[in-house]
Amino acid sequence: MNYLIKNGSIIDPARRMATVGDILIVDGKVEQVFDMTEMRADQDPLPEGTEVINARGCVIAPGFTDLHAQLGEPGEEQRETIASGTLAAAYGGFTTVCAMPGTTPTLDRAAVAHQVRTIAQRDGHVHVELIGAITVGREGKALTEMIELAEVGCIAFSDDGRAIADTALMRNALAYAAALNLPVMAHCEDARLGAGWAMHEGAVSTRLGLPGTPAAAEELMIARDIALAEDTGAHLHICQVSTAGGVACIRAAKERGVRVTADVTPHHLTLTDTWVLGSLAPRPVAPPSPPLIRGKARRTRSPELGLPDWLVPSILPPYDSSTRVRPPLRTAHDVEALIAGLHDGTIDAIATGHSPQSRVAKECEYGLAAPGISSLETTLGLVLTLVHRGEMDLVNTVARLTEGPAHVLGRSPASLNPGARADIVIFNPDQTWVVDSARFVSRGKNTPLHGQQLKGQIMLTMTSGAITFRRDSFGRSSRGNPQTSKLSGILSDDE
Amino acid sequence: MTTDTRRRHMIDLDDVDAEEIEEILTTTESMKEVLSREIKQVPALRGRNVVNMFFEDSTRTRISFELAARALSANVVSFSARGSSVEKGESLIDTVRTLQSLGADVVVIRHSQSGAPYLVAHHFHGSVINAGDGRHAHPTQALLDLFTIRERLGQIRDIKVVIVGDIVHSRVARSDIWGLTRMGAHITLCAPPTLLGQSTYWLHTWPKLTISHDLDASIKGADVVMALRLQKERMQAGLLPSLREYTRVYGITPERLAQLGAHTLIMHPGPMNEGVEISPEAATAPNSVIEAQVTNGVAVRMALLYRLAG
Repeated sequence: MNYLIKNGSIIDPARRMATVGDILIVDGKVEQVFDMTEMRADQDPLPEGTEVINARGCVIAPGFTDLHAQLGEPGEEQRETIASGTLAAAYGGFTTVCAMPGTTPTLDRAAVAHQVRTIAQRDGHVHVELIGAITVGREGKALTEMIELAEVGCIAFSDDGRAIADTALMRNALAYAAALNLPVMAHCEDARLGAGWAMHEGAVSTRLGLPGTPAAAEELMIARDIALAEDTGAHLHICQVSTAGGVACIRAAKERGVRVTADVTPHHLTLTDTWVLGSLAPRPVAPPSPPLIRGKARRTRSPELGLPDWLVPSILPPYDSSTRVRPPLRTAHDVEALIAGLHDGTIDAIATGHSPQSRVAKECEYGLAAPGISSLETTLGLVLTLVHRGEMDLVNTVARLTEGPAHVLGRSPASLNPGARADIVIFNPDQTWVVDSARFVSRGKNTPLHGQQLKGQIMLTMTSGAITFRRDSFGRSSRGNPQTSKLSGILSDDE
Repeated sequence: MTTDTRRRHMIDLDDVDAEEIEEILTTTESMKEVLSREIKQVPALRGRNVVNMFFEDSTRTRISFELAARALSANVVSFSARGSSVEKGESLIDTVRTLQSLGADVVVIRHSQSGAPYLVAHHFHGSVINAGDGRHAHPTQALLDLFTIRERLGQIRDIKVVIVGDIVHSRVARSDIWGLTRMGAHITLCAPPTLLGQSTYWLHTWPKLTISHDLDASIKGADVVMALRLQKERMQAGLLPSLREYTRVYGITPERLAQLGAHTLIMHPGPMNEGVEISPEAATAPNSVIEAQVTNGVAVRMALLYRLAG
């Protein structure tokens, strides 16, 4: 099947391109991109079997890459399967996901890698990349056979949510991986600080009487691992940085040339520990709403839904276990630093940290609940809140979902260049919707965002030229989408 | 009071204002009068089912709630379930739904996990009373403390209260802070830094608190000194060098007792580690109201049961 995607706002960060135009996809590859100056003439004959998709008011971008998703298989099928997880990825606009090794058994040897690859080829809706464990069983005791794991296709190593407490072992892991020129993805937490924690240690944990982990537990581990990366020359990737101190540490390391990259999750960029208070949290006052589009004042309420344009933690009950996540939600000060880090490139990528959990694991006392947020399907809407608030620009945000992850993986960035694999996402940045976790295609319904209004919705995802997700009959109507965007304003302003 | 405005749950004092606290304390006075009768029972809750769910050991609080419910003629069932069968929340929710089906009107819950009563309240159509959850809250203890203070000192507004001991792990301290703050008392928290956590964390929620690490300075001019139980596990966790040093610096020793004014109330939520956070001399001093606290506990719990389910 061939496609002509018409009248979208094309954003291709790898080519520093933002324009209104059309894209022709033939045989699973980008055939040609037509920008405003050379709009494709409607009378030109299309290749046989070409469907025209009207993307008016929407952004067309390279498909997103997720560095960090738990896909459940093998062994954790109550949480997720590769089929459900990759479908959720497609719903979220992702065309590549990196599968974390925290499965049962652990992806710590070639046989498990083969198994995951086989299931992914059979059931996967998007491209699946494999991340091998750093230590056998993720126990932090003995290194895995990294060379063999690399030979069977692992593109990075991680102990998935666990820090390696033994400093000597971490140094060996970095040194060994350096020879393979593959990144070691570190989850930075000193587990002895705040042992048994349920949330971030601070004013909220003090009020709620929940055991906390201090920001220092993350910061000192980031500092340690950076020192080891500097020492070994290895590529260190910091997963899910969540603290202001961590961002500062990474920024300083990058400035002196250490091979360090970092990612952050959508929830750490937008939510704080006050979400654990739920209805005990003070009601939010209207934040200033700087215009998304320069020169135009924006409304602060969406009349069609009667809901405020910002997130409201107080619709949750207190101690709602959906807010429990590792690393924990931090403070507004940390969120501010994370956004600044994302903006200036200290943080390379947005990674979902998708961690689906079963109902049984979540519907219990806060301190006993499994950490994790099912985030593939809400990532775009959540990070676009930063754009709508004027804290990030749209092109940069798309870059952190496309070019950034590719850079972390040492690959040439996903692009809409002619000849490129047609991994494409189309989203409407102004479409408002209300999160309903019951409608997630992921098996993990665990999200603190249930009932929240987000602005920005995936309309269509295409992986290797095949449509893996399409919202209703998107693009089929020749009359276009009723919710037309003012987005073209941004793009023409920028040019 | 109409049913529309009536409180359904008592989980913490953070959503109870001064006026409502006054009302509860007034109701408590009536209940105390009932308990002074020869026949300590009124029919206020006849035909109502009260279930005490204790997921953590507590003989005294459980007995206090049982006696309170019986004095109001309620049907009372108590159970203690600690350990394996109810480790997981699915079981807690399941237990609550079962009690619901069995016709429970009020559930009293004691649980080791902070926030557990909110989970119960979310799945239960009746009333929930928090009998202590993790480090979070113990509102009936705070109310009986307020009642005892008012009974002895005649007022709560503007008095100076020193809470000393293992504050960071204490649900009693947190609920007392809410209650005393609402009633206009001045509160000093006194503890070694390892048993308090960062001052700014406390001041964020309660900006008027005074934080101190010096008990001798804190108790000058105090109207109430409340010592908290020190659990021996704190030593194993490396939070304290020794019991000896703790007692010397933060205990209500006979020497400190002598420094207190004759009318300074000595309080303790119990159970006490005599000789650790409080000396036997202080515990039995004429100005100690520790036994009155226990007595008043029954009346306060009657008042709450009555107001929630009566």
